[in-house]
Amino acid sequence: MAIAGLTLIGETINDSVPSTRKLFEAGDLAGIVELARFQDEKGAAYIDVNVGARPPEFMADVVRRIQEVTAKPLSIDTPDPAIAKAGLAAYDPARAGGRKPLLNSISPLRVGMFDLLSVQPFRPILLISERVEDGRSRPCQTAEQTYQAATFLLAEAQRAGLEPDDCILDPGIAPIGSDTEGNLKRLIGAMEMLHNDPKFARVHRSVGLSNFTVQLPSKRADGSPVKGPLENAFLTKAMPLGLDMIIGSVKRVYETLPPEHPAMQCLEDCLRLGGFEAILRVREFYR
Amino acid sequence: MPEPAELYDAIVTGNAKKAEEVTKAALEANVNPTELLGKYMIPAMDEVGKRFECNEYFVPELLIAARAMKTALALLTPKLAEAGAKAAGRVVIGTVQGDLHDIGKNLVASMLEGAGFKVVDLGVDVPAQKFVEAAKEQEGSIVAMSALLTTTMTQMRSVLQALEAAGLRRKTKVMIGGAPITQQYCDEIGADGYSDNASGAVALARRLVGVA
Ligand code: B12
Repeated sequence: MAIAGLTLIGETINDSVPSTRKLFEAGDLAGIVELARFQDEKGAAYIDVNVGARPPEFMADVVRRIQEVTAKPLSIDTPDPAIAKAGLAAYDPARAGGRKPLLNSISPLRVGMFDLLSVQPFRPILLISERVEDGRSRPCQTAEQTYQAATFLLAEAQRAGLEPDDCILDPGIAPIGSDTEGNLKRLIGAMEMLHNDPKFARVHRSVGLSNFTVQLPSKRADGSPVKGPLENAFLTKAMPLGLDMIIGSVKRVYETLPPEHPAMQCLEDCLRLGGFEAILRVREFYR
Repeated sequence: MPEPAELYDAIVTGNAKKAEEVTKAALEANVNPTELLGKYMIPAMDEVGKRFECNEYFVPELLIAARAMKTALALLTPKLAEAGAKAAGRVVIGTVQGDLHDIGKNLVASMLEGAGFKVVDLGVDVPAQKFVEAAKEQEGSIVAMSALLTTTMTQMRSVLQALEAAGLRRKTKVMIGGAPITQQYCDEIGADGYSDNASGAVALARRLVGVA
């Protein structure tokens, strides 16, 4: 379940989730459809659909099958233009109460994907953790670079005819347990810059929140959970800075935390410390 | 004076400061650097790998231990060179073209260094030709590739083909890894080995150079 003001994109129909990949590999579309139905019932506002590197027709088929059981709009999740095109073409807005699908995602190197608007109007997730340099993708290492990528992609989106309210910025979240290079600092810094710039006022922000806690143990030494509280600490920090969407789990209880909560203190310390000290602080949280 | 044996615990627990202290003291006391490496440091990293595999350690512990290992190794490297110690083998590592994920690749590189391999890190978004050039320069190296995206893992095949075309494939062992990679994919493209974690990568590299 989600917090008021936070839109949840249900994450489970993704080829990188091992149990889902098994369903894809077995051709078990009934199983995939069931995942969509379950997430719909549990309150997802959108259902993400990522079929990995399978053929475009497969994406189209999955989109059609899922739309038979849910009136929630879908998020077509692929960096591959051909797969994206097939998914968008198969999508029937009438089945989702006229609502547009999301396209997850367009990066600065893939602005050609805005052409797909002629196939089906969509709301893009704009990936601002990358920038283009000498014709190649480079990771954004600073808040400033991330902000520049957002400025660039928003301008491209508007040029393609989209309204700011259609656009969703994804600043790219990395696991806190291996963040030795200050990614969290970059991300929060970028969110602050975007928040302070009126041209982004009507633009949305999203992150793939489960990625924040991958590779961590599930329990702290006292048996209490690790991942949920750290993800909630991130929400508590980022929502006042404009975060209003997440790709996440319908099974997680998302809530804001009081400042004295240990996970909140861990997050603040990690932001302050950076580098290896931050990794040590995360370990201290769960040991 | 701290005992050289304390180096083992310092690395397993990821205490970089302690690892530095013990190594310095040991070198001042003329302890053989090769012995330090073989008797305490490499076994310590092996232990770290084991704990990771049985879910006692997680990625933060791996990173912290690898840092302690690197700290000690930096002090040792000049002495090892003086003593004419041979590296366990050489590895050229990189993340394939189009892919910017490097956390796993860096961890694998650190663990390999920890195990005594000489590692040349080509970074991220590495084109096939760059792998080939590095393999040529560092003849006899293992080429190690990482990919985290289903859209970029196909680059691994291109690198294998480029190595073949350059006449280097037979002299070069190739190992691959990253979240979407499977043994099946490894077999399909004809790479020499795959592992789904950093300690497995070390065991694999040892196997490929014929020391385990
Ligand atoms: C961190 C992260 C990022 C960071 C990367 C930061 C960095 N400097 O690396 C950022 C935010 C920049 C990012 C960007 C993107 N990411 Co990303 N990312 C991740 C995430 C959350 C964790 C990866 C990680 O670092 N894991 C920790 C390390 C320690 O594990 P590992 O990499 O698997 O490595 C281990 C093993 O695989 C093995 N190994 C690795 N390499 C090698 C090599 C050899 C030779 C051997 C033997 C072994 C080996 O050993 C390692 C140590 O144990 C994963 C999710 C996941 N669960 O994996 C997504 C994930 C990989 N990303 C994904 C995607 C789609 C993207 C983006 C396209 C954007 C997006 N929409 O999110 C961009 C693409 C950027 C690009 N062009 O590369 C998808 C990939 C989907 C797919 N199947 O293709 C994933 C799976 C998330 C998801 N569920 O959708 N990402």
